[in-house]
Amino acid sequence: MNKLRKSLFRLLLILPMLGIAMVANGQSDPTGKSEATRTYAITNATIVQAPGKIMEEGTIVIKDGLITAIGKNVSIPSNAEVIDGTDMYLYPGFIDGMSNTAADRPEAMERPDNLFTPDPPNDYAGITPEHHVAGQIDVEENSIDGMRKVGFAISHTVPYGRMLPGSGALLLLRDVDHADDMILSEDVSMFTQFSGAPGAYPGNTLGIMAKFRTLYRNAEYSKKHADMYAENPAGISRPTRDRVSEAFYPVVTNQKPIFYDASSSLEARRAMRLQKELGFSLVLGNLQEGWDLADEIKASGTKVFMSLDLPKEPKASKEDDKSEEMAKLEERRMEFYKKYVSQYSELKNAGVKFGFSTIDTRGNQVKDNLMTIIENGLSEDDALAALTTNPADLLGISEMVGTLDQGKIGNVIVSTGPYFEKDSQLKYVFVDGDKHEYEIKDNKKKSGDTENSESTSEGSSSIVGTWSYSFTTPQGEQTGSMIIKKDGDFYTGTLTSDDGTPDNDMVNISFVNDALDFEFSVDAGGQSIDVVVNGTVTENEYEAEATVTAFNISFPLLATKEAPEK
Amino acid sequence: MKNSITTNIFALLMLVLCTTIVQGQAKKGSVLIKNGTVLTITDGTLENTDVLVKDGKIDRIGKNLKAPRGAEEVDATGLFVMPGIIDAHSHIAGSSINEGTSQVTAEVSMEDVVDPLDVSIYRALAGGVTSIHLMHGSANVIGGQNETLKLRWGSTNPNDLRFEGAPRTIKFALGENPTRGGRSRGIQPQSRMGVEAMLRNTFNDAIKYRDAWNEYRANKNSRKVAPEYSLRMETMVDILEGEVLVHCHSYRADEIYMLMKVFADFGIEKLTFQHANEAYKVAPELAEFGASASVFADWWAYKLEVYYSTAYNAAILTKNGVTTSINSDSGELIRHLFHEAAKTQKYGDLSDNEALALITLNPAKQLGINDRVGSLEKGKDADIAIFDKHPLSIYAVPQMTFVDGVKYFDINNDAADQRIYIDPESTIQDVQIFYAEDQHRCMEGADVINFYDLLNKQ
Repeated sequence: MNKLRKSLFRLLLILPMLGIAMVANGQSDPTGKSEATRTYAITNATIVQAPGKIMEEGTIVIKDGLITAIGKNVSIPSNAEVIDGTDMYLYPGFIDGMSNTAADRPEAMERPDNLFTPDPPNDYAGITPEHHVAGQIDVEENSIDGMRKVGFAISHTVPYGRMLPGSGALLLLRDVDHADDMILSEDVSMFTQFSGAPGAYPGNTLGIMAKFRTLYRNAEYSKKHADMYAENPAGISRPTRDRVSEAFYPVVTNQKPIFYDASSSLEARRAMRLQKELGFSLVLGNLQEGWDLADEIKASGTKVFMSLDLPKEPKASKEDDKSEEMAKLEERRMEFYKKYVSQYSELKNAGVKFGFSTIDTRGNQVKDNLMTIIENGLSEDDALAALTTNPADLLGISEMVGTLDQGKIGNVIVSTGPYFEKDSQLKYVFVDGDKHEYEIKDNKKKSGDTENSESTSEGSSSIVGTWSYSFTTPQGEQTGSMIIKKDGDFYTGTLTSDDGTPDNDMVNISFVNDALDFEFSVDAGGQSIDVVVNGTVTENEYEAEATVTAFNISFPLLATKEAPEK
Repeated sequence: MKNSITTNIFALLMLVLCTTIVQGQAKKGSVLIKNGTVLTITDGTLENTDVLVKDGKIDRIGKNLKAPRGAEEVDATGLFVMPGIIDAHSHIAGSSINEGTSQVTAEVSMEDVVDPLDVSIYRALAGGVTSIHLMHGSANVIGGQNETLKLRWGSTNPNDLRFEGAPRTIKFALGENPTRGGRSRGIQPQSRMGVEAMLRNTFNDAIKYRDAWNEYRANKNSRKVAPEYSLRMETMVDILEGEVLVHCHSYRADEIYMLMKVFADFGIEKLTFQHANEAYKVAPELAEFGASASVFADWWAYKLEVYYSTAYNAAILTKNGVTTSINSDSGELIRHLFHEAAKTQKYGDLSDNEALALITLNPAKQLGINDRVGSLEKGKDADIAIFDKHPLSIYAVPQMTFVDGVKYFDINNDAADQRIYIDPESTIQDVQIFYAEDQHRCMEGADVINFYDLLNKQ
């Protein structure tokens, strides 16, 4: 009797735990979205296992997050969802060498009083290397799917911020409830950039270079002190806690690389200059002007993630009476455009092994830019290597990812044709063995039928009209109209404000593949301040980020297109 | 036909320019400049004289010299050959000018922000300039370290422009500019008295810092703990030890005299006053201290502290034995510093040699590079400017400019578009001959109006 009561009591204790476990495993999902199985087999596909290594009519089995089989005669598990891969092309999931994917930009910090000091608060100065990007991850971030749907399965995500925002993490671009479930490995890099604090030290490159040296040298001394104290504290003054110095310890011992956002050639050289002086392990991320740097990059052993952002192709004026001077200036401008787009193949030929960084690139630009880079000399295999095997090597994760081989993480992209063909589209992207399916758009219909436009129409006239926008800053919301017109090949536009402040001209308006970008200037006490707006148009909605370039702060801008008046 | 020739020449020039870019690394040239009027500065004017340059150095100055095999020969008959002009106060070729976010930023250095792509460099070469002193701005009391450059145009690597071996220098600032920041924020320094106190406090801190580190270094204990490292204090100690030459932005006689007293108290000897519009009032005191002055020829009244000025400043200083130079502080004036020097002949009757020394040997002395440049002498660097008339004539036009014997400017081979990097997204309309912002960058980035506040706190 007593025994029975005891057993029942134990059961009572255990039951709630069982319950929890059942919910977690059983996925009682009222939305009905959860998959019936995590075992997939894609059959009869062209499998590009690695650059240049192609298997025709192959089958791949992905089970519980891993590639469990790959080959021509593979037995398919009975519980697998079988996907007919006929005419499909499979590639390893892409790896992004440096991005802000999945990170949420923190709100602009309140400006403290009395900033005119050599030692402003670290948070405001942007010196927080002890922070982790995990603290900024938002599992609902649009960029997760935005990058995944063009093929990225892994992102080395670095935090938003100023000079030293914190450490980066390798993320699997999954749909999950908790940030931790995305993290492949945390704290893999220390991220830094030439981004000064508005009105506070370090305010620009001058202060940033000096501050970096000071922090680094102090960390070296501080580490010696801490190590000595840990060994034997007797007779040694107690080391004071300094989280900034401590964050540098793995950097000064070469255990953790510095990722430097260095887009221009001068920034890259400045980062390499610091590396040469101090001796840390350097990775240049987001390099946009690398054509003069191959020798220095190789000599210094610097690793590189090239930017996937490209300048827009300049258009020569069509005027008939164009002056000779004008023609020459246009010619030189084109010469430099070519340097940007052809540097990838030149660096490759010079023996620089690079991956890509999308920190300044939106998902919907990725494929177009890759195609441009290939048109300008980089081979498709080398482009694929820069998306897969190279970043896996550079980030030290090639045991886990980068190729389609048995035992690797189930990161697989499934394309309706060869990826580097203009019309191919991604049908599935598997990340960590989870299937993400995308709708295939009918390209032919778009060019042929003029059936009145669907939501995804890229018709150039679609942004013309009046939009009502709202622009949110810490001071509140500003609303008004954004009026866009088309003048020949060019867009013109005006931003009006509902609070009666003067209209602003929208300049450099560009609308390509749903991406609408423009700039405007506001007058602040006689000084003109430039604002750059980048965003995406979906049907009649425009979701964008407006960045005040001088201070590197951004605010959301949303707009809705008004129905045309009759 | 005419068009195609122009195009060919243009293409050829581009080719030449591109080759320069690729080769980059601090090139040295050999050249024989024949039969010119050679203005040596240190050895008078030599008529019908040749200057032979071998591997970037002046090998011989004399008559009937022979060019070594492969060296270019320049016929300078009727032309004037002088040392390359040196601008002791410039803000061209810098990506940033002020780290004006606190009053003492001795740790920052302009060598970190050299911009070899700035077209102003080529424009300065076209004015006969071969070296500049790229200075930090005057927004704070102790600004950043400056960088002495040779104008080796065409390289994309900032290191290639460095004047290798030139002593380190640093910018200080007195008077209205640094106190403006203090007053607008309600902190020290709000007056010239505050500036002096801040200088003395900082030097005293540096002495304490030096003592702490000396004690650490002398400590034989293997378990010793290092004091806090400060690049700012390291630089201040280097100033105290004479390793860094101070160039101080100043206008009024009282503040000039004040700084000499402060430096005398701390035993610092190497001091150049920049601008120094009232230096003429304390010329004997400057001479006694051994301080020098780098001034404008005739530019003043742009703010209150610059009203009491005279165009005789450079001449008065020179006659009092003060090493004096004339600088540009401007991307525009730098193109005709020889005009600026000539003004001292109208205002003060300086001799040709005295006037030319103001833009050659004297600035070289102030920058500690006079053993290398500033005059035409055997063994010195072949930094040379050639003019069609005497450079102190208002009609003189620079013809060629050499740095280390390499020709970087030739008026007969002068492509219109000299840009090294071009933004493919720029509009052609944005291409300008002259940028107003090149003019005066002394207070750039140190806006006293706080734009961030305007934007965020309205």
